[in-house]
Amino acid sequence: MVTTELLGEMKTFLPNLKVETSDQQVTVYPQTESEISEVLKYCNENKRKVQVLGGGTKSSLGFPNETVDLKLCLSEYTGIVEHTVGDMTVTVKAGTRYEELQEYLAQHNQRVALDPSWPEHATIGGVIAANDSGPKRLGYGTARDSVIGIRTVYPDGRIIRSGGRVVKNVAGYDMNKLFIGSMGTLGVLSEITLKLRPVQKSESLLILSFPSGNLEEVRSFAIKLLDSMMEPVSLELFNPGISARLLDKNVYTLAISLEDVESSVRYQEELIQKLCPTEAELEIVSEEGAKQFWKKVYTTLPNGNDSKQKDADSEKAVSMKIGVVNLDVVKVIRESQLLSDGQAVTVEAHGGLGTGICQVMIRGSKEDVVQTITRLREYAKTLNGYGIVRYLPGSLAETVDIWGDKPSYYPLLEGIKAKMDPNRIMNPNRFVGGI
Amino acid sequence: MAGKKTIKTNDPHIRQLAALVGGANSILYLKEDLVAYDCDGFTIHKHLPKAVVFPKNTEEVANVVKYCDENDLPFLARGAGTGLSGGAIPLNDEVIISLVKMKRLLSVDMENRRAVVEPGFVNLKLTNSISDKGYYYAPDPSSQYCCTIGGNVAENAGGAHCLKYGVTTNHILGLEVVMPNGEIIDIGKEGIADVPGYDLLGLLTGSEGTLGIVTKITVRILKNPEDKQTVLAYFDNVADGSQAVSDIISSGIVPAALEMMDKTAIEGVEAAAFPVGHPKDIEAVLLIEVDGISAGIDEQIDEILKVCRNRNVREVKVAQDEAERGRWWANRKTGFGAMGAISPDYLVQDGVIPRSKLPVVLERINQISEETGLRIANIFHAGDGNLHPLVLFDARIPGQIEKALEAGSACLKVCADVGGTITGEHGVGIEKREEMRFVFTEEEIAAQTDVREVFNPKNLLNAGKLFPSPSRCVEVKKEMKAAANS
Repeated sequence: MVTTELLGEMKTFLPNLKVETSDQQVTVYPQTESEISEVLKYCNENKRKVQVLGGGTKSSLGFPNETVDLKLCLSEYTGIVEHTVGDMTVTVKAGTRYEELQEYLAQHNQRVALDPSWPEHATIGGVIAANDSGPKRLGYGTARDSVIGIRTVYPDGRIIRSGGRVVKNVAGYDMNKLFIGSMGTLGVLSEITLKLRPVQKSESLLILSFPSGNLEEVRSFAIKLLDSMMEPVSLELFNPGISARLLDKNVYTLAISLEDVESSVRYQEELIQKLCPTEAELEIVSEEGAKQFWKKVYTTLPNGNDSKQKDADSEKAVSMKIGVVNLDVVKVIRESQLLSDGQAVTVEAHGGLGTGICQVMIRGSKEDVVQTITRLREYAKTLNGYGIVRYLPGSLAETVDIWGDKPSYYPLLEGIKAKMDPNRIMNPNRFVGGI
Repeated sequence: MAGKKTIKTNDPHIRQLAALVGGANSILYLKEDLVAYDCDGFTIHKHLPKAVVFPKNTEEVANVVKYCDENDLPFLARGAGTGLSGGAIPLNDEVIISLVKMKRLLSVDMENRRAVVEPGFVNLKLTNSISDKGYYYAPDPSSQYCCTIGGNVAENAGGAHCLKYGVTTNHILGLEVVMPNGEIIDIGKEGIADVPGYDLLGLLTGSEGTLGIVTKITVRILKNPEDKQTVLAYFDNVADGSQAVSDIISSGIVPAALEMMDKTAIEGVEAAAFPVGHPKDIEAVLLIEVDGISAGIDEQIDEILKVCRNRNVREVKVAQDEAERGRWWANRKTGFGAMGAISPDYLVQDGVIPRSKLPVVLERINQISEETGLRIANIFHAGDGNLHPLVLFDARIPGQIEKALEAGSACLKVCADVGGTITGEHGVGIEKREEMRFVFTEEEIAAQTDVREVFNPKNLLNAGKLFPSPSRCVEVKKEMKAAANS
């Protein structure tokens, strides 16, 4: 029996390793980097397949029906390694919950400038490994703009550092970039160093709803706003379906976030009021109210742990991430609404008009959902974009291609994987093209 | 005059290469023509290339690369040759693929904030081409008036304003690349974000021309900030100046730029072409710029003035107009060259330190100066901890070049020892190969060369750069010294 044998052997050299077994599935909870390293080294030498887990919020992203020999969960590998307040950098262990990290930093009036989904459950390691981001990436960028150093445990147990602890660094290849968004297929992220930003002094959310449903109006307003000197940190378009859930308004809605010193926020609010088309309704929500709205947004996408939760509604939602040229987001949101209007599915969608990234949730019968995924992906392709399936209940995983087409340069991706994980033990078959 | 040149050599490679780029007008191969290409902005090490070709488009680049690959000819790409670490120096008789003829701005899309350029397009020209519409390209290395965006991608170039806006890698959305086997790939098509797969854009940017040759670049363009204000602050001691830097940052302000110069650097810039009347007896000057929404700037400037006063500033002033602001920046941006006014030769270094370690690092650099007997000026992107020690020396005095190289290396060791790194924006190139060992273990260096093998398996493309090679390092150091002495 694989399980018994595996456990028995590992116990001989890691007597203190915390292990759980259920339904023949072994999960280990390393508490030190050397435990992570020993476990991987053993698995690599014995060609055991390993799935890496953090908070589990993305455990359904890109997963296969591939069985693994071992789950390696980082939930007990947590804590701040170093926070140099004056340098505005922090080094943190990968299993640390995102929100815990932010709460700790907030005491020093600092923060990581990323807004991923499920901050309460997600770990920083998971956020970086999956390159998760939210609507405020318009203002602050994504993981690749915040991460300055990573300690990675390679599949053969080596500990390899990339980047460093300073905010500007061109010594050697920028290997950090390889690990960001690699879905744990190259190694286990152990420690992550991030550059920080000050907590915003003032924050405001402008909710513009468009009862007329005229998306041309939305588009031209967005262009005017983007062409002005204003500095919104989000410019997110919500389709009626999701506006109804979040704001109780069954119409297209734009969520514009402003974060700056107070005088600048007030000034921009006034300008947006002036710029606002007459048909649109404008509501301004300040400080705590704005925070609460975004909190809701961050918990709308399906959570990989949903099956364990009570929210039956989100259990069935399939979610997609679609990337297109910035303003083509309007087209994707329109298309998602059309699919929702005409079909047996309901589609909730939002996307950033300055970022090109859309999140789409689809509910309906199995066949209809699969068909909608295909149609949206094909539609994105006509715009030169892509669509990936972020969350897919197990029963659909066999029928749907999660990552879509391989890029033309796929052999390079495979070459990188082969160099770093030659035995293919790390999250096998989880990433593009079966990497 | 423009008559058609003919190839005056029987070397079959030269004849073939000429044919691939459209004839004798697009290739250099005679020694007297090649001398101009024996080094870049790093002038201590020189070596002649086999030839220099000037392709006009991606296909020509790909054809040259394919030819080199098939015939095992080493090759490398070159832009304006302003690199400061020797990345474009042909160590192995390379065929240099000069990209200066590929200098078009291919498209600008304001609505989606992107532009597509060829690699030979000059950095500042991009901003100049879109400024009338209120847009700009953010990375602004000091050489921006002549350096190319292709070179910026290779080196992941920085600049004075990267504190707030990031370095080149934060502004690259897509790349067309000729791989070392001649294959053409397109990464980040249309500049669309988060394309599934490992982030090759991020890996290639800053790979110093060792993984592929970039032939088309999609960059992010930004809207000009509504307003900017610039402050100059003079301090009687460096500790106060660096504490002011920390205080500004920790007050929650993200300045667009935060620059510092020490006493020796001030002596240099004041003796050079753009003096602005800095007092001669001060120990540190800070140049601080805040930009953004006009309504919020005064508040931040007031905060900065307060911080400076709390840290015993001798004098602090706000630029009264664009002309004054321009003078202050010209004074700073020409800082390296200005050292020529007070020293026959100088060597620029490029360490990065955690900001909070500045006082102790400057103290140790002082010691290095005393030990070597060479003056060292410090120009510092203080906001992001990027320190440029400028080692002043006189190459005519025997032994001074070696001493300067040693002093430069010692400065980098200090940076690495306090938790920093050996290069923030100039790259490793030839210059800092050995110093890579200050920050990475053999295993970590091997992890990087493993990645190179995936892209550049025959290592014909820009070999001998970026990484120390165990068998050759001693020899190369000797070679560098010999070259320096010749």
